[in-house]
Formats: sequence, structure tokens, C-alpha cells
Amino acid sequence: MDKNITIIHPRPSSIVAALYTLRDLNVDVAVLHGPPGCSFKHARLLEEDGIHVVTTALDENGFVFGGHDALVNVLHKVNEMFKPKLVGVVGTCASMIIGEEMHEPVMEADLDVPVIEVEVHAGYRNNTKGVIVALESALNVGIIDKTEFERQRFLLEEATNVELRHGAASREYLAPSRGDVKYKVAQRIIELLKEGKRGLVIMNAKKETGYMFADITVAINEVAEQLGKADNIVNMANIDEKLGLPRVRHHAECIANDLKEKGVVIHENIGGLDEYPIAGNTVDQLIKDKYIDFDFAVISGVPHAIPMDHISNMELISVTNGPRQVLPLKEMGHEHVLVEIDLHPKTLGVNHIVESEFGATLREVAKESL
Amino acid sequence: MSVQKRIAIYGKGGIGKSSTASNVAAACADEGYTVMIIGCDPKSDSSITLLGGKRIPTILDLLREEKDVKEEDVVFTGYNGVKCVEVGGPEPGIGCAGRGIIVAIQTLKKISKTLNEMDLIIYDVPGDIVCGGFVAPIRKGLVKEAYVLTSGEYMPLYAANNICRGLAKINTPLSGIICNSRSVSREKEIVTKFASEIGSDLMAFIPKEQIVQDCERDGFSVMEKAPDSSIAQVYRDLAKAIMQRDTSVMPVALDDERLRELTR
Ligand SMILES: Nc1ncnc2c1ncn2[C@@H]1O[C@H](COP(=O)(O)OP(=O)(O)OP(=O)(O)O)[C@@H](O)[C@H]1O
Ligand code: SF4
Ligand SMILES: [Mg+2]
Repeated sequence: MDKNITIIHPRPSSIVAALYTLRDLNVDVAVLHGPPGCSFKHARLLEEDGIHVVTTALDENGFVFGGHDALVNVLHKVNEMFKPKLVGVVGTCASMIIGEEMHEPVMEADLDVPVIEVEVHAGYRNNTKGVIVALESALNVGIIDKTEFERQRFLLEEATNVELRHGAASREYLAPSRGDVKYKVAQRIIELLKEGKRGLVIMNAKKETGYMFADITVAINEVAEQLGKADNIVNMANIDEKLGLPRVRHHAECIANDLKEKGVVIHENIGGLDEYPIAGNTVDQLIKDKYIDFDFAVISGVPHAIPMDHISNMELISVTNGPRQVLPLKEMGHEHVLVEIDLHPKTLGVNHIVESEFGATLREVAKESL
Repeated sequence: MSVQKRIAIYGKGGIGKSSTASNVAAACADEGYTVMIIGCDPKSDSSITLLGGKRIPTILDLLREEKDVKEEDVVFTGYNGVKCVEVGGPEPGIGCAGRGIIVAIQTLKKISKTLNEMDLIIYDVPGDIVCGGFVAPIRKGLVKEAYVLTSGEYMPLYAANNICRGLAKINTPLSGIICNSRSVSREKEIVTKFASEIGSDLMAFIPKEQIVQDCERDGFSVMEKAPDSSIAQVYRDLAKAIMQRDTSVMPVALDDERLRELTR
């Protein structure tokens, strides 16, 4: 595979990646140092997740004369407005190209809370750069320790490899697709259950997206229960509550609680919510050791991170939230690929499992066929 | 009025672009032409010798204050009616001077009526074209022809040669080479040869003379302070030559080896 391809579909930038990382580090405010329109969509979504994202709103004058004062002013302003305990400052193309120094204004603003400075722009081919720089800076100001930093760095490398192998970075251009018809796939799952086929339900979710992917696990378990086939299902999920940044651990805890409450047993806990790039190996080993003769698997979250080695004989149904992920999954050999469109926004700012479109469809189809 | 001449003078940093530009501007004004000089250097030193040593507010000074810029705020009348404009720039090391030039030029284009009434507009640009902003006057279609200033020394010629390559790349014709002498041996011969080999002509040979610097120190052009000097006559001839010039070429830059040979 050619790793030096130029990917021409736009994708989330390092700036956005840095913003989400700051969110996971539990900053109260993130300041974008750059033009007012930069990353506005994600900025707004993040507000739903409880962090304030503001901008220094550099205009033409800012580009020419620099934005030192603007940054100092905004830092003072947010300090008064939101009384934050932890603040992040993120660079943008505009401010970085003109050589803005963020450390000086941060020093000058002299807030008495730690400030994580992230010197990034959108021009890195790989947006994990934004995550790394944010984590490095967090390490410097003592928000995370060296061990967690190294762990995160390792996970990022693995995440990059996953995307290169079978993900959105695997091809110069990947056309987005809405995937297969959910209704039909729901019928198929019910059929399989009725036939007494044994199935694996694997959630390998990235962080907060687990709030919705977990609903698919719940729905399948509900339906299997109704059909009297609950014993034919084995659940795996990456919801280890002891791994990851504080916020991510909290998500795992919330999801695990909800699953318990709904009576869903997770037979195999395959890692932390940030371990989606490596949990695939755990899954692979487990299947090899214990579940090799299962008939089908429903894999949600980041299905392309699960190696095909021991699942290729099963009927594979995968659920992703990436419309550009459909094609690679089909090529890997997944028979049915579903897309939960606009999943991410619905999983921000929540602490309970939220209904998925596929879960809802499955429940409805099950009602009809019982 | 004949067709408006819009020229820019390029050349290695410090080679004498600004003093040549201001003296040519003054000489053209003496000939009765309407002239504007637009300094596109953050140093803002293009028009100072046409204004008795005084500095004028720059376009970017006003934009920085977020003022509504009007023509009379930025276009000043200097020696013999020469219109003087300085683009200005951010403090050195801060912000983006290149973007500044782009914004200032666009502003000037929008607000200035005088711009259209001139017989000659000279854009004085800094020596190092470090980014796209510095060729904005060309790219935005404000400059129609370029002159390149050089001495007979190797480095200025090297820079001149590079500039010629750059001009061809952005489709801007070269109207001539001007030699600002540094009193090196065989200088006129070297620069004449260089000019012809890239496909152009030597427009003038300006000697190196102390009087240029003496006038500059007092805040004047040679044309104003020492109109009877011999070098004033050289500027006068150059001014006439520029106003009459109606040929230009797409220059063909020399290869490094040839350039070295030329100066050997
Ligand atoms: N023919 C000349 N004889 C003597 N001194 C000269 C001559 N031409 C220019 N100078 C002097 O050389 C110095 C540099 O000239 P000038 O500022 O015009 O250069 P420049 O090319 O515009 O520089 P920059 O690239 O920094 O804008 C000035 O002090 C100027 O007076
Ligand atoms: S180009 Fe860069 S700075 Fe501008 S909006 Fe896009 S990401 Fe932001
Ligand atoms: Mg100059």
C-alpha cells in the first residue's frame, strides 16, 4: 500500500483535534487564536459538551499587525466570564503563518490557572498532530503525567495505522456513502437469531461515540431476549473504567452503568474507550480462543480496527459513523455496512446511552416479526 | 495624456532602488509629468527625500487605527508636485508585512482618484521578495513593467538574474536594466553584457557619488538639492529614457555558470 498518497477529501484538522483533546483534558475554556470563522462548527458542538470555545477573532488587521493584544484581552475576558479552572489556547493557520507567539500573551494575561498552549494549524496531513501537541503541553503544565502521555502517544500511532490500513486515510479519495438499508439489515439479524445462530456483538467505540454505539448492543440483546435466544449472544465492549483521560473514564463508567441497568452483560471488556485502535487485537485473540465457531458478528464503532483473521467466516454486520468508511469496510469483507449519520453531535453533552437509528429500527422490525 | 506608465524597480537589498526611484520621480516631475511614488517597503523610506526629510503617515498606520482611510490622509504632495504614498507595515518581527502590502494596495486602489491621473507611477519595493505580498503590485495588475537595478558586482547581478527569472515566471515584462555603480572594474561592460544576454538593454549607468548621500542625509533628492550636478543629469536622462521606453521583453535568466563567467 502506498503510504504517501495525497488524500483529497477534506477531513478534521489538527486544530479541531486539539480542541477535542482539550475537552478530554477537562478544560473549561478553549481559546482559538485566529479568524472568527475557524472551526466554528466543532466549536459550537463542543459547547454542548460543556466547554466554552471562544475566538480571538483576528481580522485583516490582526493578520497584518499580529494578535498579541487580542489574545491577552480574550484571556482576561474569559477569566472573568467563566471563572475557569483550566484553559486551553489553540493556534490556527492564520496566527501560525504570521508567526504569532502564544506564550508571551499567556504570560502577560497572567491568569492564576494553568493554560495549555497548543501551537497548531490545519496544515498537518495527519490531525493526530493536534492531539500530540495538546498532550505535550498538558504534560508540561502538569495536567497529565508522563505515563499517560506515553500511553496516549502510543494509541495515536496505532489509530493512525488503523486509518492508513483500512480507514479514511487509506485512499486518495473516498466517496461518502450512507451504507446499507437499516431495515433490511435488522430483518437479517432477526432471521439469524431465529435460526439459532450464534452472534458476537462487539462495540469498539471511540470515546463518547460509545453513548450511541452501546445502544446497538442493547437493542440486539433486547431482541435476542424477546426471541428467547439471549444465550446465543456474546457481548464485547471497550468500556474499561480505569483507562484513559478523566473524561473518557467517566464516559466508560456512565455507559457501563446504563448497560448494567438495562440488564446487558458485557462478557468481554476489551479495553478503555480510547483503546479502539488496539482493542482489535484483544478481540482477535478472544475469538481465536473462545468464539471461533460463531456465525455472525455485529461490530460497531471503529469496525475497521478489528482484524479479519478470525472473523472472515462469519457474516459481518458493521456500524460506523463515518460515511467515508463504508467502502473500505465492504472491501474488507463486511457484508452489511450501516452508517449512523450525524452520530457525533448527538453524543456530546450526554451521560446516558442515546438511541441509535439502527437500534430503533431493529426494535421496530422485531415488534412486527414477533 | 499618453498611456500611463506604471513601473517597479527591483534589485538586491541596499543597491539603491529607493534613491534611484525618488530621483527619477523628481526628474520626471521637472520634465512636467505627473508622478506618484508608492513605497511598498515596511521601512517607509521611499519618499522621504521628496518631502524634505519628513515622514508621512502610512496607509497601514491608518488601517491599524481602524480609521476610514481617505485619499488626502495618505497621498501627500512632495517635491515639484510628486505624489507620495507609503504603504508602511507592522513592527518588524510581528504580524505579516506581506499581507500588509496586499491590504494597503487594495485600499489605495479603492480610494485614490489621483492614481488614475498620473503619467508615471513608481512602485518602490524592498530588495528581498520574501513572500507573495511583495509582488502584490504586480499580481494585482498595478505594475505593467519592471526595471532591475544592479551594480557590476557578483551578488547584485546574481540577485538581478533571479529577479528576471521571477519576472518571467509571473509574466511581467522587463523594460530595462539600470546600473547603479559601485565603482568596480569593467562595471559598465559587465552590466551591459548582462542586460543584452538576458534580452534587454542597459538604460543608464549611474555613477557612485558622495553627493547622493549628502543630499539624502539632508532629506532631499539630488534633483532638488543639487540640480546642476553631473549625476542629476544622469537621472534626468534616465527619466526621459523611461518615459520614452516602449519596448520590453520577457527576460531569460542566465545560468549560474554564465553569470560567474561574466563577472570574472
Ligand atoms: N549612485 C549612488 N551613489 C552613492 N550612493 C548611493 C547611490 N545610490 C544609492 N546610494 C546610497 O546607497 C544607500 C542605499 O540606497 P537605497 O536605500 O536607495 O537602497 P535600496 O535598494 O532602496 O535598499 P532597500 O533594498 O533596503 O530598500 C543609500 O544610503 C543611498 O544614498
Ligand atoms: S484556513 Fe485554517 S485558520 Fe482559516 S478557517 Fe481554515 S482551519 Fe481555520
Ligand atoms: Mg528601498
